[in-house]
Amino acid sequence: MGLIAYAVFGGADFGGGVWTALASGPRAGQQREAVFRAMGPVWETNHIWLIFVIVTLFTAFPAAFAQLFTALFIPLVIALLGIIFRGAAFAFRHFGDGNEAQVPLVGSFFSIASIITPLAMGIALGAVAGGHITTRGGASEPWLRPFPLVTGLIGVAVCAFLTACFMTDRTDGQLREDFRRRGILASVALGALTTVALIVASWDAKPFWERLSSPVPVAVISVAVVMGLASLVVLWRRLYALAPSVAAGTVALVLAGWGVVQYPYLILPDQRISDLAAGTTTLVPFLVSLVIGAVVLVPSLVFLYRTFSEKTG
Amino acid sequence: MVLDSLTSARALMGASLAFHIIFATIGIGLPLLLLIAEGLALRTGDGMYRDMAKRWGRVAALLFAVGAVSGTALSFEFGLLWPKWMEFAGGVIGFPFALEGFAFFIEAIFLSLYIYGWDRLSPRVHWLCAIPIVLCSAASAFFVISVNGWMNQPAGFTVADGKVVSVDPFAVIFNPAMPYEVIHGTLAAYVAMGFAVAGVYAVAMLRGDQSAYNRKALTLGLAVAAVFTVIQLVSGDASARFLAHNQPEKFAAMEAQFETERGAPLRIGGFPDPATRTTPYAIEIPKLASLLTFFDPNAEVRGLNSFPPDEIPDPRFVHYPFQVMVGIGSFLLLVAAWFWATVWRRRAVRPGRPLLLAIVAAAPLGFVALEAGWLVTEFGRQPWIIYKVMRVSEGVTTQQGVGVVLLTFLLVYVVLTIGLLVLLLRERRRPVEGSARRTEGSGGA
Repeated sequence: MGLIAYAVFGGADFGGGVWTALASGPRAGQQREAVFRAMGPVWETNHIWLIFVIVTLFTAFPAAFAQLFTALFIPLVIALLGIIFRGAAFAFRHFGDGNEAQVPLVGSFFSIASIITPLAMGIALGAVAGGHITTRGGASEPWLRPFPLVTGLIGVAVCAFLTACFMTDRTDGQLREDFRRRGILASVALGALTTVALIVASWDAKPFWERLSSPVPVAVISVAVVMGLASLVVLWRRLYALAPSVAAGTVALVLAGWGVVQYPYLILPDQRISDLAAGTTTLVPFLVSLVIGAVVLVPSLVFLYRTFSEKTG
Repeated sequence: MVLDSLTSARALMGASLAFHIIFATIGIGLPLLLLIAEGLALRTGDGMYRDMAKRWGRVAALLFAVGAVSGTALSFEFGLLWPKWMEFAGGVIGFPFALEGFAFFIEAIFLSLYIYGWDRLSPRVHWLCAIPIVLCSAASAFFVISVNGWMNQPAGFTVADGKVVSVDPFAVIFNPAMPYEVIHGTLAAYVAMGFAVAGVYAVAMLRGDQSAYNRKALTLGLAVAAVFTVIQLVSGDASARFLAHNQPEKFAAMEAQFETERGAPLRIGGFPDPATRTTPYAIEIPKLASLLTFFDPNAEVRGLNSFPPDEIPDPRFVHYPFQVMVGIGSFLLLVAAWFWATVWRRRAVRPGRPLLLAIVAAAPLGFVALEAGWLVTEFGRQPWIIYKVMRVSEGVTTQQGVGVVLLTFLLVYVVLTIGLLVLLLRERRRPVEGSARRTEGSGGA
């Protein structure tokens, strides 16, 4: 049961991670305009993923929810502030018909929020893997350590990388070149940071490091590395149509790699998924509700998609 | 730090909910007005109603988005402020919250269809898109308020060793308090929104713009407001009676009933004083509380003295907002009656200046009443976070520094509110896209 719940949670988390990242354009200047236009429709969905992740966490793993939100109080408060500002900036800007002059300050709020949110989220995830949140309470600020701080930077790099790759497929001319250059930079940075993270893990996140060497994590992480290199090649050779899927694939594999390293622990080093999961009478109705919800949701989404794809040419 | 964690956490949760409730209310109420306005446009071919629906749709989308943000903040705050409560109750209330998530998602989908679909959908299909918005927003209210009902009348779970071991999700959602809270809370959104819309156009008319557009929008707002205010009166009466039977501490605090007595009076106003156990300056109508509650003028009403002293709410925090809610509710009923009496007498929508001023006053008051009613529910439940199961103080975080977070978020809410007001006031001067009318002058909103 815990396994199914984990699959759902993982799925939602993955989606949440990707979409949250998607909507984080960290660049100032004229690219912001294009990013706003492209990301506007995605923004609401992004929020919903996040809410689903949180609802899943507190429903299926109430004990983990309580622990994480206590131990990671500060990074989560910061992430929340970022989410509020980013969400509000999107809404305000949209209402002002996308004209920056009409809605001053919104742009800078948006940029700052877009950087601190993935940073804080990355720190929080790093702390979950870092092995300093234990049943005995552990360190007082388990996130304020080298490994989580590096994963925080990875969070920002992931967002920068994803956004740049997606944007190359949605722009052209000089703007596209800009995003291509940024995408290459971001993917190199991402690769470098991930390497640094692994090195740091060897002394700061021992439980994580020790679990890395088993065959499944090695396999998934190798594929992730190959995918990351592929994205670099795609950008280099200007195969823009492939860029979004390669980028999303890379990030998905990194997350999956993290997941398989963690499994069967929800919080390293000593708390298993099965220890933290809620009872069957909670999980079964919850999963049923997800299925019922999806049954209503999918046709609505299809209708939305159809309505707005017909005449856009 | 002057503020301890518990006080700060309560203040922050309260502020965040108070902020969110405004947007949730508009998100529930405004779609109904959209549906009616566009329906009228389809039926009568009157383009003015179409303009109303277009403009209100834009506003609804903006406020819906802000509501999504403030709702996300609340889901974080559950964990940040009340981890122990969530550890206990997360598995119980997750089911309604998951369903709420879907309702919210579907509402978002149809709202985007509605806002961006004016030129892409046939008029009839476009109008039909408003129906899922109305239904899903009401469903969201249903699920969220049902959780609040559960906190007041917990049901559908068994506990062993301080942990929830089994859950019956339907018994959780259909807890005894749910029907009363859900109906009263949802109707309140329609009442508040009806008066709010009417108030905006009353301002325009006071400024001298007596255009047909303004008169129609005003009438529409007051039609919705009047119908729902009347139903709300019935629902409020039923809710109070439910509380007298099922949560008598809350009822006693609402009525400032310190001592158990037969033939209890109805206390209007006054300042309940827990030290002297009296309510000076209250207007007391003899035996009315007993009569209204138990249909017997000599029935016994339980006072706060009949409960353990550490299990009762502070009557001041409950009696005042209750008086505010009931007082405003009565005022709103009067305003609606006044308006429709004028329309009926003059056979036309030509409200005089005093009536328009009353409508303008009613616009924010609907929201004040709604917030006050929410305060009655929340303060009346104290000291429990889950009635007779868990105390608020047992649910709070062990983290320090909540006071700083409280101040930060208060600042954030102030900034957001100012930003929104600036945007909305600017919207008044903006012509409706593709409108038949050339300008709206100061009249539009």
